[in-house]
Amino acid sequence: MLRMIIYRLLLIIPVGLVLVSFLFALFHLIPGDPAQLMAGDNAPEELVQAIRQAYGFDQPVHIQYWNYLIRVLQGDLGVSTYSREPVIDVVWPRVINTAQLAGLAMLFAIVISLILGCISAMFWNHPVDKSVTVFSLVGICTPVFVSGLIAIYFFSVYLGWLPIGGKATWKHYILPVVTLGAYQAAMFTRMVRSCMVDALGRDFIVTARAKGVAERLVVFKHALRNALLPIITLFGLGLGHTLGGSVVTETIFNWPGLGRLMVDSILTRDLPVTQGAIQIFAAIFIAVNLIVDVLYAWVDPRIRYD
Amino acid sequence: MDFLKRFSRDKVGLFFGIVLVLIYLIALTAHWITPYDPLQTDLRKVFQPPSWEHWLGTDQFGRDMLSRVILATQITARVTGLAILFAVITGVPIGMFVGFVGGWLDGLVMRITDMLLIFPIIMLAIVLVVIIGPTENGVIFALGISQMPQFIRVARGVTLSVKEELYIEAAVAVGASREYILRRHVWPNISAPIIVQASLTLPVFVLNASALSYLGLGVQPPTPEWGQMLNESVAFIFNAPYLMIGPTIALFLFTLAANLVGDALQETINPKLKKRK
Repeated sequence: MLRMIIYRLLLIIPVGLVLVSFLFALFHLIPGDPAQLMAGDNAPEELVQAIRQAYGFDQPVHIQYWNYLIRVLQGDLGVSTYSREPVIDVVWPRVINTAQLAGLAMLFAIVISLILGCISAMFWNHPVDKSVTVFSLVGICTPVFVSGLIAIYFFSVYLGWLPIGGKATWKHYILPVVTLGAYQAAMFTRMVRSCMVDALGRDFIVTARAKGVAERLVVFKHALRNALLPIITLFGLGLGHTLGGSVVTETIFNWPGLGRLMVDSILTRDLPVTQGAIQIFAAIFIAVNLIVDVLYAWVDPRIRYD
Repeated sequence: MDFLKRFSRDKVGLFFGIVLVLIYLIALTAHWITPYDPLQTDLRKVFQPPSWEHWLGTDQFGRDMLSRVILATQITARVTGLAILFAVITGVPIGMFVGFVGGWLDGLVMRITDMLLIFPIIMLAIVLVVIIGPTENGVIFALGISQMPQFIRVARGVTLSVKEELYIEAAVAVGASREYILRRHVWPNISAPIIVQASLTLPVFVLNASALSYLGLGVQPPTPEWGQMLNESVAFIFNAPYLMIGPTIALFLFTLAANLVGDALQETINPKLKKRK
């Protein structure tokens, strides 16, 4: 187990290196002179020249690349061209807000999907099962920005119960968390159901029932435990999707998170912030992936020494 | 024909298959069937609620919403279709080649796709759109590249299993070239899973293309796009909530039909999956 964790941790080094290099290359491909962009369209030539020198844009590409690598390793992501603050200071509070949103949405999705998925599998082919399936299908086909707008219209505009956007009181959490969570819940429910249907069809379930184990125990102890393996991978993959979905959700509900920061920085052409936000997102995805893999090995000892 | 017969036995799949065909018909004939010019502004007719003349009302510039939804159908159909084509054309040959050749190249390509698959498609698409620019072509490339790893994996997986077949060994023994074997023996085996993968990708692309436009990173105004229309409607949610109706229904129907047709196709080609239902 420890060996696997160490191996996976070491694997982050090349992955991270490739990623940072990739981003460096990509942002060098963007048309336009970065110094001109930072200075603004009507800036005097001297200012552009000064910025070019200060940021090292006049140096050969390989030296720029090396300096960039060193700076990223030191946690220096540059300075926002929009607010003139260090990118890391701009990004960090946003990371926490996004983590709150995504974490709560995941929790919501996991609880709902486990309940609905198990019920659906227990009532296999029964109207209860059919309605859960239709419900989750509708959920999958409704993108977050559609369900979010409908929720805003109904709960904020029509009923006036909940705030439209922002992040001040607990009331501000409800719509974004439920909107993002419901979409994930719809995805998860389908999978949990199919894993549970699979598990409930196995021979050991027949054995358990034959020896008179209570149905409640059959479902939650025998079937669910065995279905848990694929379900955990699913939730791990889902966490990445939730983070991806948070970009749109944050934009709808004006949530001050990393995703909205990224989109805003793209629209205001604040390149250092865009780059920083993408790097942080990438780091989070890699970390999530690592945790899921370790968790997987912990749940299923068979794959530990692969 | 056997395939069509099996597909039509699935009533839900058949119904939504017809819906999907209708959507594509609307997309193809969009320029002729729009009741009004979707781009024509008329400031005397702003914010008209749904009526007999304007079924879905008019927007802040007096443009007919129904016409805009219809034209947006064409945009979405074209963008997602071309993006899938792009992903197939680039991903499948790579997957077939590395699957057939194997060795370090295979390992390298697989590691790269593994890495790309960590990231949700919307994130990859956003990054790529930033580089290429928020245009129609930008969205096509961004979506196409972001799902390319999926197609590489599917093509590679099937190639690996086909490679072990006796007829491949026979082809190698009679001295057939690698290109010939890939084209003549591997490709026919690959097409079915690729079609399924493409049909499963369609709803994903529809959602992500509109998500990009919603964020302002997709197709730019005045070209109508469902996501972008929804984004514009947010500002008028208090006095003209009916602006949301058209794009919402269109987006939902397209995704639903694409999803169900994809599922039905998958079950037709791989009947084993049906038992789970």
